[in-house]
Amino acid sequence: MSTPYYIPDENVPLPPKDADVITTACDYCIVACGYKVYRWPVKGGKNGGSTAETNAFDADFPVAPLGPWVAPNQHNIVLHDGEPHHVVIIPDKDTEFVNTDGDSSLRGGCIAQKCYNPEKPTRDRLTSPMMRIYGILQPVTWDFALDIAAEIGKYVIKKHGANAYGVKTFSYQYMENTYAISKYALRSVNTANFTFHDTPSDVSSTPGFRDAGFDNFAPAYEDWKNAETLLICGTDPYETKTILFTQWIMKGIQNGQKAIFMVPRKTAGVAYAEQNGGLWLDVTPGTDLLVVNAIARIIVENGWQDKEWIEKWVNDKWGSSSGFGQGTRNTPWQWRTTWGKFQTKGFDDWSKWLLSQDEFKLDAAAEVSGVDAAKIQLAAEMMAKPKEDGTRPKTSIMIEKGFYWSNNTGNTQAISALGITVGAGGRPGQVIGRGGGHQRGGVKGGKYPRNKSPMKLPGRRRRALDTDTWTMAGHTRFAHVIGTTWIQSMLGSQQMSARFHELTRGNPHQIQSINREKILETLKKRVDSGGMVVVNQDIYLVDPIGNQFADIIFPAATWGEEDFLRANGERRIRLYQKFYDAPGEAKPDWWIIAQLAKKMGFEGFDWENSNEVAEELAKFTRGSRKDFNMVKVAAKREGKTLHQKFREMGTNGIQGPVFMNDDGSLEGTIRLHDTTRKLPTDGPAALNMFNKKLTHFNSQTGKCNIQKSPWNLFSDYWEWMKPKGDELWCTSGRANERWQSGFDDTRRPYIVQRWPDNWVEINTEDAKKRGIESGDMVLLSNDRVPSLKDTTLGVEGSDYSFSGQMANGNVEFSEAAVTAVAMVTRAVKPGVMYMDFLHVSQPANALAGRVVDWISGNYNYKMGVAKVTKIGESPYKHSFRSMSFAPRDIVI
Amino acid sequence: MITMNAGTPQAKEVPAQITEYPRKFVAKLSDLEPDVPFDFNYPDEGEYSDNMVVKMGVKAGGGIGPDQDVVAFNYACTHQGGSLYDSYKADTKSMGACPLHLSTYDLTRHGILISGQAYQSLPQILLELDGDDIYATGIFGLIFGRKDNLQG
Repeated sequence: MSTPYYIPDENVPLPPKDADVITTACDYCIVACGYKVYRWPVKGGKNGGSTAETNAFDADFPVAPLGPWVAPNQHNIVLHDGEPHHVVIIPDKDTEFVNTDGDSSLRGGCIAQKCYNPEKPTRDRLTSPMMRIYGILQPVTWDFALDIAAEIGKYVIKKHGANAYGVKTFSYQYMENTYAISKYALRSVNTANFTFHDTPSDVSSTPGFRDAGFDNFAPAYEDWKNAETLLICGTDPYETKTILFTQWIMKGIQNGQKAIFMVPRKTAGVAYAEQNGGLWLDVTPGTDLLVVNAIARIIVENGWQDKEWIEKWVNDKWGSSSGFGQGTRNTPWQWRTTWGKFQTKGFDDWSKWLLSQDEFKLDAAAEVSGVDAAKIQLAAEMMAKPKEDGTRPKTSIMIEKGFYWSNNTGNTQAISALGITVGAGGRPGQVIGRGGGHQRGGVKGGKYPRNKSPMKLPGRRRRALDTDTWTMAGHTRFAHVIGTTWIQSMLGSQQMSARFHELTRGNPHQIQSINREKILETLKKRVDSGGMVVVNQDIYLVDPIGNQFADIIFPAATWGEEDFLRANGERRIRLYQKFYDAPGEAKPDWWIIAQLAKKMGFEGFDWENSNEVAEELAKFTRGSRKDFNMVKVAAKREGKTLHQKFREMGTNGIQGPVFMNDDGSLEGTIRLHDTTRKLPTDGPAALNMFNKKLTHFNSQTGKCNIQKSPWNLFSDYWEWMKPKGDELWCTSGRANERWQSGFDDTRRPYIVQRWPDNWVEINTEDAKKRGIESGDMVLLSNDRVPSLKDTTLGVEGSDYSFSGQMANGNVEFSEAAVTAVAMVTRAVKPGVMYMDFLHVSQPANALAGRVVDWISGNYNYKMGVAKVTKIGESPYKHSFRSMSFAPRDIVI
Repeated sequence: MITMNAGTPQAKEVPAQITEYPRKFVAKLSDLEPDVPFDFNYPDEGEYSDNMVVKMGVKAGGGIGPDQDVVAFNYACTHQGGSLYDSYKADTKSMGACPLHLSTYDLTRHGILISGQAYQSLPQILLELDGDDIYATGIFGLIFGRKDNLQG
């Protein structure tokens, strides 16, 4: 960890002419900007000079704006083949895509500081496997750690069943790793106790998109620029996926695009849009659906819908009844059919429903959402009112977590219907999709064994196992946690932490020997007595899952320490190259999983390197949005490895799905659902595969389903959660300068200087009433955090609501409290506070209810509520070295 | 020009380089109007040597004068070199947003990034007060575009 004190350097070494140049992409947000690593030996002291003839950039210093300048934070020293080397890592100034102009965010811009350097705050990387003996983690050998983990794993599966073996893992940290992990968990262990870092069970993030037939990542980055009106819900891309804003949306706005933001907080992107003809819909948390449907209602009332598009691309009664292309058994079909809550007979039927709902009338929606009625009216006009010449504005819609993690099912159904109404979804500049959070590095190596989930509801529906309620109930006896904090990332975090402690360190059976048999005996007693053994695989020791609860630690290698593949938010796949040695004995996740699997007696894990994993997984991408099987076919034809072929594509990579032309060249896919795309009329040649989603939507008919989005399926929870008395909403999200839990940022002196502690934004009026000033230390508390005791319980449709669960006695209440430094600002809506979403010691998620969306199974993370009181002053209030309390909405 | 390794077979004539920050007169304190930046060049007259000194009326990190409210900063955005000229905001005591990618800087806190993409704080020009005379004596942070503040 770094101290909040940073002394900047006043010079920086430049790479010499003969420095190695290695391409990669940024490790952080969805955009994945292209980068170049310049590497040269420390030995010999041969640095580059200030003239174009003497440095690797061919540039004279000082360089021009946008030129290849090297900030001191872009330099580091690493070991390469055991020898110290300089590395300078800057955005690729020559890239043709993504971060055109050689642009980069602060996160990626300082990525050189991610590299392990024992002289810097990254010195606490995990470098050896460890085992907790007498309560203290001590280094052991890989063989010993793997052996104990495998023996206990086998024992748990045999004695307590595969579902007692839980795997909680990142979904995105490179394809080779996610493939190996899911192959192991789903195919080999075959457990239903499996889920990803951001959800309690294996569910869709955007149920409404799935039902409508929209892929989350269909759009191309150029579409976000080329839209004439862009509605952005639940995110400011400037703060979260920077380069998508600065290189694409900002250029769109400069071309006259009207950008409409629906978020409770005004940050730089929102302020820029407002300054340039856009709009800020300052929505109260959880009420997005009302605003979206009020917009839709105005459009329908005025007849501004895209009639030709709807005629051609929206399912009628027969089309929607033909299904969703996924069968009914494993989808929440009762909501659509038996209970009729969502399904419609087509656009007219949907319009009739929309107009019959009083809560979507402009004034009603304005009142509950707190958004000015005139702005809602203006948004409808910007999105759909025909221009004077009769043509329609090209309108696109982007959503992200502030929106789909507030009323998961309702919001995503409503926005899909609005998208269809304005003709967004299948044409250049007219698209609908997610902006994205992390990058897309998931490839499944096995099928989720849904039939093994005990969480079965009446009718034929079986839900994916909710790993949080399952673990809280004591059914997880072996938890294998990979690259996630688990506890702080989920809701009701503080109750989970207490329960984890009880199951692990609170159990009487603790390792007090280095003898293999005694260790095994102890851990078997632990699991048989209702306790839990935890294996934690990560790059740093995470508190508390690794630091306090884990029995065994596996140190992982990461970005830059192995060759890996991953896709970005427009499905662009690149090779992230290894350029330095992983610290100590840290190994890539695929390797760790392979050794463990072999010790468990599973077959199919005999990979020698990450390219072999990539070549195996390529065929499982077929038909998916990142289908790159044909890249492997091309590589084999040319006598190359798959990684080698991708290496040649550098930072440009290629957009999935990838096809091979008759001449052997490869062709990517600009956007999915591209109704303007012409595929070869004679069908796919050779091994090419044409999926419906290339030119149509993801439904049985290839047309969109337009669905209802009733407010009353959610309104009881919203009414119950909404602030009472002195409480305020306390929603959460990202800040541009930090990534995820801050695992890298807390080890960067400059970022720690900027954000030395957890913080909460409070509106000026709300703060004044409570006697709070910027820099005060405040306590945020919630004495009524609801949690579901068991999986959603019920028989009838009416049971499946928050009131139904309350009536059935399935909700319990607890208290939560976190501290933060107050930032009093004009840039957040009155009545709403905003906190960084994942400080490991002060998790915002503790303040929101551990209640899943009863239709989708997802959490509504953004619905936190808290009382805020001043408990003192932080050291940052009167000193000038760290933090800033200036507002984040300052414009040019 | 100076001679390196003088008196040895390796003797070589090379251009002289400044290795210490010059002490340079910037302005008279009494001439500074509240919240009106005054421009000056430092540490040389070369590229990206444009800076401003401003009396902000609030105490600031590194501030000089009786109210510790006089600070000076470089004008080149430390993200990609956009010019922050004429972007001082009196209400927030900030510079920016940079016209290129919207970075903003807090002048009360050593030029730390408020919001945006810069890789470090805005370089702060270190000041000294001698009577009514303000002198620039150094720079805290690397100026955009340069590999070394003094050698370009």
